[in-house]
Amino acid sequence: MASIARSSLLRQVASARPAFQQSVIANGARATAFHTTAKRDLLPPLPQRVEGTVNDAAPVPETSPSHGSYHWTFDRLVAGSLIPLTVAPFAAGSLNPTLDALLCATILIHSHTGFQNVIIDYIPQYRTPRARKIFMWGLNAATAVVGLALYEFETTDVGITETIKRIWTA
Amino acid sequence: MIAQRVGTTALRRVAGKPNVFFTANVARLGLAQPLSMTQTRPVATQKLTPADGSALLAKQRLNRPVSPHLDVYDKQQTWFGGSIWMRITGSAFSGSLYVFATAYLAAPLLGWHLESASLAASFGALPFAVKGGLKFLAAWPFTFHAFNGVRHLLFDMAYGFKRQTIVKSGWYIWGASIVGGLYLAFFL
Amino acid sequence: MAALRSSAARLLGAASRPALRAATAPTSAPAAVRGMAQVADAQQHSQTASGDQANLKTFQIYRWNPDTPTEKPKMQSYTLDLNKTGPMVLDALIRIKNELDPTLTFRRSCREGICGSCAMNINGTNTLACLCRIPAEDSAEMKIYPLPHTYVVKDLVPDLTQFYKQYKSIKPYLQRDTPAEDGKEYRQSKADRKKLDGLYECILCACCSTSCPSYWWNSEEYLGPAILLQSYRWLVDSRDEKTAQRKDALNNSMSLYRCHTILNCTRTCPKGLNPGLAIAQIKKEMAF
Repeated sequence: MASIARSSLLRQVASARPAFQQSVIANGARATAFHTTAKRDLLPPLPQRVEGTVNDAAPVPETSPSHGSYHWTFDRLVAGSLIPLTVAPFAAGSLNPTLDALLCATILIHSHTGFQNVIIDYIPQYRTPRARKIFMWGLNAATAVVGLALYEFETTDVGITETIKRIWTA
Repeated sequence: MIAQRVGTTALRRVAGKPNVFFTANVARLGLAQPLSMTQTRPVATQKLTPADGSALLAKQRLNRPVSPHLDVYDKQQTWFGGSIWMRITGSAFSGSLYVFATAYLAAPLLGWHLESASLAASFGALPFAVKGGLKFLAAWPFTFHAFNGVRHLLFDMAYGFKRQTIVKSGWYIWGASIVGGLYLAFFL
Repeated sequence: MAALRSSAARLLGAASRPALRAATAPTSAPAAVRGMAQVADAQQHSQTASGDQANLKTFQIYRWNPDTPTEKPKMQSYTLDLNKTGPMVLDALIRIKNELDPTLTFRRSCREGICGSCAMNINGTNTLACLCRIPAEDSAEMKIYPLPHTYVVKDLVPDLTQFYKQYKSIKPYLQRDTPAEDGKEYRQSKADRKKLDGLYECILCACCSTSCPSYWWNSEEYLGPAILLQSYRWLVDSRDEKTAQRKDALNNSMSLYRCHTILNCTRTCPKGLNPGLAIAQIKKEMAF
């Protein structure tokens, strides 16, 4: 009872205002057409489906440190080791062949894990498992090819830092 | 209580200044009823079993749109926050490395010349402005990825998480990478 | 009683309908009959009349009605006079609902930033409408959307089922096997208690999770900043004894490691918490 009375009172306060006429001048329901998603035709979000009832917890994935913590730590170590390897040629002018090869290999691993992250982010396993598999194996193949090519380049040519230096100062 | 309610409604009716503002909507909906005024809701309800209820809910869920995200979220955060450019510059570099390396491996078969000497010679033949432009195009992503990479490694060690620090360091990275890129492209 | 009430209302409604139609034209005569709560309004009115310019502000609000599911979501504009509206966006929304369009739907409850109901995307960032001031100085339109990349139940109401299911999956409660030493309560040093500051204040409004692009693309599997902050709240709790199991549950490629320190979460949190830092701490603790 009390609450009903209160709400009606409140509503009266809210609705019976003399100043409204001037307070709102142009409230045309200017409804404009609205694009929910731009042109994201690639993997648009699916209609909503909920597994189980609302009271079931979301499933917890299997523990696998090689895809989790080890992978992450390894990524950071590789990224961190790239810092001295990139600074060195600037400081010394060039790199000796061993360090140059090491730089090449580190960049290759860094690229590989980076691309892996991109694939995991944008090609969801639960939704497009086949595409995920194709891309992952495609990446593995590409990395193998590039590794071979870099080996060729390092052994027959002048090395990556020296090449960049020559092109840069050409 | 009834008397009171009827009384207030009557007051409001007589006061006669209902929704001037709602009229546009009223017109749109094709309703002449003052929706904001009336308390009645002629809704017919029916009993549902829990199973039917959840089936109905599941059907309604399928109709739901996804709210806008990239289009409406603060551009400065999603597009200039640094993280996405980390990915773009990294992918551009790694992508060109992959393309170049594959081409290098296939070059003897296709008769291309991708040895460092011929690359340097053909690059040297370009006019200065083009050379500088191309160099900056390579140098800026490099400096950005390098500087922001250090920032991300610091994040991973749990440094620099204050809100102000995040915003500021983001802008510093942009400034430093552009200056560094220009230096590498034109003064080295 | 109910019947009496409704029929009376209908009668009155029918009687007043022509008057309503007429009211579309700007009417000048203020009310002859004045309710007791109108006195304050009358004062406001005279104040407005004697000089103060109407301070108009337009709000563009995302609308979608589940009753007409084939209609595309659209933006609808409402204009209010800020001189007669409370300072916060929620005040404006409530006023729009009360006076302009009762069909506008949004969640709200406490109006003081402790319940997390009114989380929405206001002018591009996620925040609580009740804690977000209407910028009075500029006359730019305000754009209000539901939380980004959520399924919309209606207008500004997002469906957070997945969010809550994920919250449940991290077992957000104290887990321990050994009983308390004194048989009464689990004690904690002041230093240990301090570790929970900045974590326990989280109200699960989902502002941070729905600001995270990683969560936009992978909300099925990635837990998102809010849930990970809650996860860390239980990981650092000195009284909890299932820390190893909790870490194991996060140790896969999706649950935790889809975080790429974009840090929209920390920048958007309406409570000033730091989900980004909490996630970094989890990663650091799990690094080896």
